[in-house]
Amino acid sequence: MGILEEIAACVLAGDEVKTPMHVRQALADRVPARRVLDDGLLAGMNEVGRRFREGEYFIPEVLIAAEAMKAAMTILRPALTEQGVAALATAAIGTVRGDLHDIGKNLVSIMLEGAGFDVVDLGVDVTAETFIDACRRQKIDLVAMSALLTTTMPEMEIAIKSLREALKPCPPIIIGGAPVTQAYAERIGADGYGRDAATGAEVARKLCRM
Amino acid sequence: MTPKERVARCLARKPHDRVPMFDWYWMETERDYLRQINDPRIAPEFRTPGEDERHLPPRGIGLTIWEYFGFDLMQVGWPDQRLRMIDPVIVQQSDDWVTLRDGNDATLRWWKHKMGTPEHLGFGIDSPEKWRAVRHLLTPSADRIRWTEFTPKYQRARASDLFVCYAGVEIIESVKDLLGHEQMLKAMLKQPDWLHDVFDAYTRFLISMFELAEAEGLRCDGAFIYGDMAYKNGPFMSPRHYREFVFPYHKRLFDQFHKRDMPVIFHSDGDIRLVLEDLIAAGVDMINPMESRAGMTVRELASKYGRRLGFCGNIDVTVLTTNDHDAIRDELRAKMQAAMPYHGYMYHSDHSIPPGVTLETYRWLLEEVRRLGRYE
Repeated sequence: MGILEEIAACVLAGDEVKTPMHVRQALADRVPARRVLDDGLLAGMNEVGRRFREGEYFIPEVLIAAEAMKAAMTILRPALTEQGVAALATAAIGTVRGDLHDIGKNLVSIMLEGAGFDVVDLGVDVTAETFIDACRRQKIDLVAMSALLTTTMPEMEIAIKSLREALKPCPPIIIGGAPVTQAYAERIGADGYGRDAATGAEVARKLCRM
Repeated sequence: MTPKERVARCLARKPHDRVPMFDWYWMETERDYLRQINDPRIAPEFRTPGEDERHLPPRGIGLTIWEYFGFDLMQVGWPDQRLRMIDPVIVQQSDDWVTLRDGNDATLRWWKHKMGTPEHLGFGIDSPEKWRAVRHLLTPSADRIRWTEFTPKYQRARASDLFVCYAGVEIIESVKDLLGHEQMLKAMLKQPDWLHDVFDAYTRFLISMFELAEAEGLRCDGAFIYGDMAYKNGPFMSPRHYREFVFPYHKRLFDQFHKRDMPVIFHSDGDIRLVLEDLIAAGVDMINPMESRAGMTVRELASKYGRRLGFCGNIDVTVLTTNDHDAIRDELRAKMQAAMPYHGYMYHSDHSIPPGVTLETYRWLLEEVRRLGRYE
């Protein structure tokens, strides 16, 4: 098994010791940082996402895979900067106003990072204005919104409307969360819907043509 | 038939006169209904963390909303399972929310005026070493039960022949308050011995608290145990990890109830279908609330499990919020007709009655359940 396959396998196993070790080795072997990221870490996370979508992996496996990737990124990030490798796209994510739930949103963040996004996590109870400010402060290629409650779901519609009014062009917007459905996403004018975190990341990639 | 007989027969899947009834509400709904009902005897069940309770009638003294609506079941028990039974420390607050550090050394942000899962900001117990240092604090004691609330509730329930359930949580629900979901779930793979030790300690504690409540006079007819272990796409953990980490402790707890001929109603939000066989094997007699949006439907499950399992809930709250009586009647009919032939169905919404379901609709709904739910 080559070093990149080794890295992907370690991510898949959630090995937060060996994953950074192999990344360090790959960089020492002069493997370009972009390839270490794409063909090692992201390939591993991509497989984690597939297994999660298909019911082979559950939340614990995803969480430890994300930890392995995070540990490896501390080694890889300086090399990416040094070699001028930028993220393919940047996503701003938040749980909408009136909702403090963060677990689902954090899982989507993990999957977006695993899909190659830089993620700007705006946290919970995020107003439409905060989403708009984030998009004005830096180039945001995708906005992701989460809501867990039927009572806070309407905030998504308000935020989408405000974003579309304030930003021309407006980045694509995806939504998800326990009460949200594809039909609801279409009704309120979202560009995409993720029934789970992995599908959300897949939809995000398609919307950003990655 | 008394409510107690009705629920007992329903839980045993034996013929009874009509579908028994129980429900939970979002706090905002309960407060809104009580404001409209305007009966000062009724005390709201829900209090938000950090809420000033002085202007509210104390729980247990007057009536519960369940008694007001004529439900068949009463819950008592609810032992306090914090490591330290101390007032939470206010870390930060605004008009709308408050961040508290609680008796588990967990820092959580709560809404002040509405219900909801808090934001998880930090969990102080984040290593086996820290756990070992505080493990001894998880000591059963009588002051962990709100006797001033539950003694009168118990006595009134007995006087009215209601089915009395010992209510509380199981390990997933207990330990998520101590470690947080993420740390707890990661520990299944990374620190299994530690997690087994925590689960074992909480199971011992939960059983001891039940025995203590029973010794002090709360002799119950069944158990209503809460343990959210799933979300809309399935269980948090794989069936294999359920069997390894959760099943032994569920079984140990549920065995205590069965020893006393107390059937077990188990509550978990989300889609638990992947672990249903295991839950039945662990001793679950009835499931609640069967969230429709998570794909749980009694129409599918009754034919598959109806001879071995009861169902409490599944009435889709998104249909209820339309306040469209025809749509609600269709929903009730479809679900009740599927489940009633097995004699193991109890009415409950598929989560909690949300704001937006008018009191008028809700009263009509309950009458409709009584009408459609008659066996004779």
